[in-house]
Amino acid sequence: MLWLKNARVVDPAQGISGIRDVFVRDGRILMIGRSIPTDRLTDGGEPETLDCAGKYLFPGLVDAHVHLREPGQEYKEDIASGSRAAVRGGVTSLICMANTSPVIDSQALVAFVARQGRRAGLAHVYPAAAVTKGMAGEELTEMAELKASGAIAFSDDGRGVQNGEIMRLALEYAKLTGCPVVSHCEDAALAGKGVMRRGRASAALGLAGMPGAAESAMAARDVLLAGETGGKLHLAHVSTRGTLAALRAGKAAGWDVTAEVNPHHLILTDEDVPLTNSAFKVNPPLPSAEDRDALLLALADGTIDMLASDHAPHAWEEKARPFAEAPFGMTALETALPAIWTYLVQPGKLSVERLVDAFARRPAERFALEAGTLRPGMPADMVLFDPEYQEIVTASDMASKSVNTPFLGRTLRGYPVKTWVGGHLVFERPAAV
Amino acid sequence: MNWPRKDLLDIAALSAEEIEIILDTAVSMKEVLTRPVKKLPTLRGKAVAMLFYETSTRTRSSFETAAKILGADTSSLAVAQSSVSKGESLLDTAKTLAAMNIDLLVVRHAASGAPQFLAERLPLGVINAGDGQHAHPTQALLDVYSMREKWGGVTGRKIVIVGDVLHSRVARSNALCLTKLGAEVVLVGPPTLLPPEMDYLGVRLSYDFDRELAGADGVMALRLQLERQQSGLFPSLREYNRLYGLTRERMARAGKECLVLHPGPMNRGVEIMSDVADSPQSVIETQVTNGVAVRMALIYLLLSGGAVDAVA
Ligand SMILES: [Zn+2]
Repeated sequence: MLWLKNARVVDPAQGISGIRDVFVRDGRILMIGRSIPTDRLTDGGEPETLDCAGKYLFPGLVDAHVHLREPGQEYKEDIASGSRAAVRGGVTSLICMANTSPVIDSQALVAFVARQGRRAGLAHVYPAAAVTKGMAGEELTEMAELKASGAIAFSDDGRGVQNGEIMRLALEYAKLTGCPVVSHCEDAALAGKGVMRRGRASAALGLAGMPGAAESAMAARDVLLAGETGGKLHLAHVSTRGTLAALRAGKAAGWDVTAEVNPHHLILTDEDVPLTNSAFKVNPPLPSAEDRDALLLALADGTIDMLASDHAPHAWEEKARPFAEAPFGMTALETALPAIWTYLVQPGKLSVERLVDAFARRPAERFALEAGTLRPGMPADMVLFDPEYQEIVTASDMASKSVNTPFLGRTLRGYPVKTWVGGHLVFERPAAV
Repeated sequence: MNWPRKDLLDIAALSAEEIEIILDTAVSMKEVLTRPVKKLPTLRGKAVAMLFYETSTRTRSSFETAAKILGADTSSLAVAQSSVSKGESLLDTAKTLAAMNIDLLVVRHAASGAPQFLAERLPLGVINAGDGQHAHPTQALLDVYSMREKWGGVTGRKIVIVGDVLHSRVARSNALCLTKLGAEVVLVGPPTLLPPEMDYLGVRLSYDFDRELAGADGVMALRLQLERQQSGLFPSLREYNRLYGLTRERMARAGKECLVLHPGPMNRGVEIMSDVADSPQSVIETQVTNGVAVRMALIYLLLSGGAVDAVA
């Protein structure tokens, strides 16, 4: 039994944003209220109490886009280290992408990932399975059976499905599962050898640029396909105004389309890319300032449904290369929430209610996970968040095996200080206690 | 004079005053090149190493000649393509270099930022001899030197740079260098090779070569990589030459005084016709000599900090 007192509870699913007490029993939320009469709580034992004054209590974050690299690239990350990174960042449920080695395209591999997640015993790890066998973009995977083994979404994330007919068939066939097809929108021919967003910054650095249309042309295609098939489409990591136009059109038409945005695309732009720091190399690439501003507005007005980290760990020596030769990707599980707080919530660009809505409630609803709210009866997945706590992002502190974050060395303010999963305390920030 | 910089990576980092110091130093260096005995003791005992990931006999021998005249020892590090294909990373190379007794490293690499990557990891000086599409500062300095030699200065002059601007480190570095010194630069090429974002340089962009040639004091034709045709960037050499080739008829629009430059090596008959390249207006051969003088000036400034008298 756990009694959290005087927390600033933010739970959009219940329309709560204010000081509340929360009572947890048997791993689930029992009650939430302004003050809880003690006689209703005790079933004999003395509850453990925690005074949360001055701190927020959020439902555990639900991260719809994570790369945990296991199986095959455990030197970058594995499911255990990634789970530790998750709870350190306040993430209690995550969807991990299928672009491992081998690709998650069989029942045994889906079951393996889910089992490794349970063995780690921290965040809930939900596998996404590939859309096409081996992610070759040619033949559909056995989606119905993959779902039976625990897949909760289908995605060839890491590359776009280049063949429009295959994508159309995927949106049709995935209806058997009820799971969304998650599209990494990238037209390979348009992207070419690009290593950052095409624009003045890429021209000045002499780095090959990929035009925004490399993303938005495929996003438009996929939205139209979702409309025509009636399939369930989720656009991963949207980053251009063109994609937003397609998304708005699809939503206005009433099609089953959702989208996520990554914190780095809301905070950084192509102008921030240093020639020799490949921690800023990410796919989709950092947007123009105009795109960045449009993304933020679209998140605030609900055009973009949710936040997701796109945590993409790479070993230090892989990133310690000239920009064009380094792999794409940033680590983000441990910095997403502090970065959003520092750069978006504190300056008043994003409300705390919308933050929790977008990073907990909406992804849980979209992917049908038992998470994202502190409603009585739900698993007690919770984050205690200290808006005043500051820390310099430091490589040696990271739980992730990789440290390829552009925020390295920056001071962020607003960190998770305790994380519970199913009522168990799974993370406590040492310096904050 | 004092020269505190360890590296020369990009024109963008230099002030107009610093550029003038390099060019003025190159004037005395060029005087040495006219002497019967072209050898100075200035940098005796210093080691200059060449690290060329892209083959370029011209640029490499220009640097080697410059270093040797100044009395430095030169060596070429055999990296070429073999160690790249064996998977040796630039980071490994940097570690190896740090352990060698080198004072100055001259780097050419296909990846933008590779020289800076090395400079950030090495205590020794680094000269960028061309990185990807990013920068080629010594080429720009020698081009501007050649113009200054003819005109006395470049302020107020109009220079047209024509060709594959998008992929050209020469165009980028020249535009930066010339505008810092008060010249007017116009970049010319077909839209596929001159995208609008090149306006980051703060210069005018134009698709119309003939119109821009009027009133030009100098025109620089960029080398066209013939493979670009296969990528669809231009339809044919014939049409390219017709629209953007430096021909005698076209040069008539600019007038007899207009200088002709080319960073070399030339595709004669494509971006420049032989009669133009070999005309009295052309300073293409002088560019080669000036390249040695400018590189001498740089090596001298970087290795001595400008502290000792170079030309005794
Ligand atoms: Zn992706």
